[in-house]
Amino acid sequence: MAGKAKIKSALTGYGFILPTFVFLIWFMYYPVYQALNGAFTDWDGFNAPNYIGLDNFTRMFSDEVLRQSVVNALIWIALSIVLAIVPPFFVAELIFHLKKERAQYIYRTLFVVPIVIPGIVTILLWRFLYQGDGALNQLLDIVGLGSLKQLWLGDPNIALYSIILMGFPWISAFNLLIFYSGLQSISSEVIEAAKLEGAIGWKRVRLIDIPLSAPQLRLIVILTLIGSLQNIIPPLIMTNGGPGYSTYVPILHMYNVSTVNGEFGYGMAIALVMFAVILLLTLINMKLIKSES
Amino acid sequence: MSFTMNAKKLPAILLGTGLLLGGCSGNNSDGAPSESAAGTSSANPSASTNSGWQGTITMYAQVYTPNSKNIAGLKNQTKLREVADEYEAAHPGIKIEFVDEEFKDYTQTVRVKAAAGEMFDVFWGQWAELNNTFPKGIAEDLTEYFNKPNPYIPDKATWAEAMNTTVISETRSPDSKSYNINGDYVATAFFYNKDLFEQAGIAQAPTSWSELISATQQLKAAGITAMSQAPDYDWFQRHFLSDFFSKEYESISAFDESPGVSSLDQSIAIVKGMLNTSDERFMGWWPLFKSLTDNWKPDYLSSDPGVVGSNARNDFLAGKTAIFYDGSWLPENAKDAKVTFGLGSFNFPVLTTADTPYTTGEDVSGAVGGPNAAFQFAVSTKEANATMKETGKQAAVIDWLQFLGTPANVEKIVNEHGTFVPTWPDTKPAESMIELANQASNKLKALGVGGSSPNLGKNIQRIFGLYLSGNIDFDKAKADVQKELDTAIKEYQSKNNVDFSQY
Repeated sequence: MAGKAKIKSALTGYGFILPTFVFLIWFMYYPVYQALNGAFTDWDGFNAPNYIGLDNFTRMFSDEVLRQSVVNALIWIALSIVLAIVPPFFVAELIFHLKKERAQYIYRTLFVVPIVIPGIVTILLWRFLYQGDGALNQLLDIVGLGSLKQLWLGDPNIALYSIILMGFPWISAFNLLIFYSGLQSISSEVIEAAKLEGAIGWKRVRLIDIPLSAPQLRLIVILTLIGSLQNIIPPLIMTNGGPGYSTYVPILHMYNVSTVNGEFGYGMAIALVMFAVILLLTLINMKLIKSES
Repeated sequence: MSFTMNAKKLPAILLGTGLLLGGCSGNNSDGAPSESAAGTSSANPSASTNSGWQGTITMYAQVYTPNSKNIAGLKNQTKLREVADEYEAAHPGIKIEFVDEEFKDYTQTVRVKAAAGEMFDVFWGQWAELNNTFPKGIAEDLTEYFNKPNPYIPDKATWAEAMNTTVISETRSPDSKSYNINGDYVATAFFYNKDLFEQAGIAQAPTSWSELISATQQLKAAGITAMSQAPDYDWFQRHFLSDFFSKEYESISAFDESPGVSSLDQSIAIVKGMLNTSDERFMGWWPLFKSLTDNWKPDYLSSDPGVVGSNARNDFLAGKTAIFYDGSWLPENAKDAKVTFGLGSFNFPVLTTADTPYTTGEDVSGAVGGPNAAFQFAVSTKEANATMKETGKQAAVIDWLQFLGTPANVEKIVNEHGTFVPTWPDTKPAESMIELANQASNKLKALGVGGSSPNLGKNIQRIFGLYLSGNIDFDKAKADVQKELDTAIKEYQSKNNVDFSQY
């Protein structure tokens, strides 16, 4: 009887999660399955797909646009990871070291409040700031650095960096909270022991805080990696990959070949390769940044 | 059976249930019902009246949408609704419903709706997109209806006789199908701020290329931004190539043995070395054009017109720039923006040999405009629109299109909007468009490339922007353009099974 009651309870639980599970499969996993199949076809998004074997994958080797976009993506990932870690960690440390709890709360709130602003608003704002007669160039004029004025989105040599560096001072609220919670979880006994050993200030940060924040570091590196490769909105909205192909990234190429050129099969093949690359980089990252709890 | 074994089986059961439900899908993409690539008409072509079907016909009329509340910048229009009301009165049981929605990425919208079988019954579609960009099989081939009488135009033997036959010919697909009715024409011009011209001491609008260059230099010298926009390659190439290759127009347009220059004609011309970099004239206009854009504000030169177009237009309407090259909708935009400066316009000037040795002296001011405007309506196939499977519906929708597609209705609807020119023989333009309508009366002899692949124009645009902004030199630009042309031809050949050797 007890067993039956347990089964009934388990069934009830499964029953509750079944709708979510069905939606998960239908909207998340089934499209992946479709993409897996579609990557080996020549499909225009409407008519029946034709199986073409590995043609889409061999095409990638001769696709110069894809090659350029991969280079751009690698630059994007590298810089994004630095920006995702250094400023938020630095600010988390500063807030963590504030003596008064109330001050910690106030500063934490101030840094997190901007999270309510939709990302698209930030992007459109920065597009405005980057204009030739936009606020950034005007500011440079005002402070006497007019010689540094640029066509921030119009110069192919710097457009990519302009997009990546959008969002000054790069204090991601989410990353800040992740690091902050990591610092909070460091045992006070460890901190006290470190003080006694003379590990204070930046020495403590280097020898205690950073190593013990490894799980948070790993998480943020993985999320930044995935986010950078999937982030189509900034290049799409700000430059559509231009000038030339200087801000073109693989996901934008995937989007354009599918929706503009109607080559959904090739787009799916690119998506599949991106998935494999992200998975590989994630596994490497998890191996490299080991944590000891 | 133990509890543990049951518990282990349950997730598998759940997964199986999910996959089973996932497999029971009407999703079009998992093996679309269309058996052939081309859109085939299944309606009875001789059914010129409603076959007894009753219901609602949905129509996306783009800028002709009547009583629109959701399409930005659209003034209140009623004529199309009046035409629909007339039709409804004559056909009880049939309602015409207009889609009042603005689509930022219309191409994507069409793809997705068609894939889901939810396309509008009648929808606006650019002829070039229907022929090349959208998947085949979305729109009905209307050719057989064009070749038969329209019951609402009794004095014409066929529907096509009431239309502009050059437009029909020019907008046919590579396999000679007509996917939309096309009733209006868009003109383009240089629009200018009369007040800024006066400020710079320019007495009148430029009438030649050298005067245009000189005007931009004068404006720049006066501290006024002469022009600031992303120069649209697709537009400007048509001016120059239509001039430089005017003597070859007849032979290029004759490749497919019908009037007008189709995408097949373009592709053959590319393959034959006419519209490609092996002919000096093809890119011979780039340095000439650069001499103009060197006087522009450089901000948008290398940008995508689609991304910065409205910013650039807003700068002009705000009085920040003196000249703006745009379509005939700009005066309406200016009215909506309540601009306070005097607005004038001048056509693309006729070139002389002093400007470039390649010119033939043709007036190509109308080369950019063309039958690429808003009165272009197609009918969705039953594969793209599941409701078309209802018995008699397709005949009813075609009948509505025939009712809408009469010279009187075309003129009424197009002129109410006031930014385009009706092109059918028995139509007259609105007062405000008479000047620009002269462009439409020039024989349509526009030449350009871009019809061979959806990507070709966009990719050359990138190279064009890099060249004009000084980031690449002419030789590099030439090499890159040729690569794009070669790729586009390969794509055209494989998608359309064309054997170029037969031409």
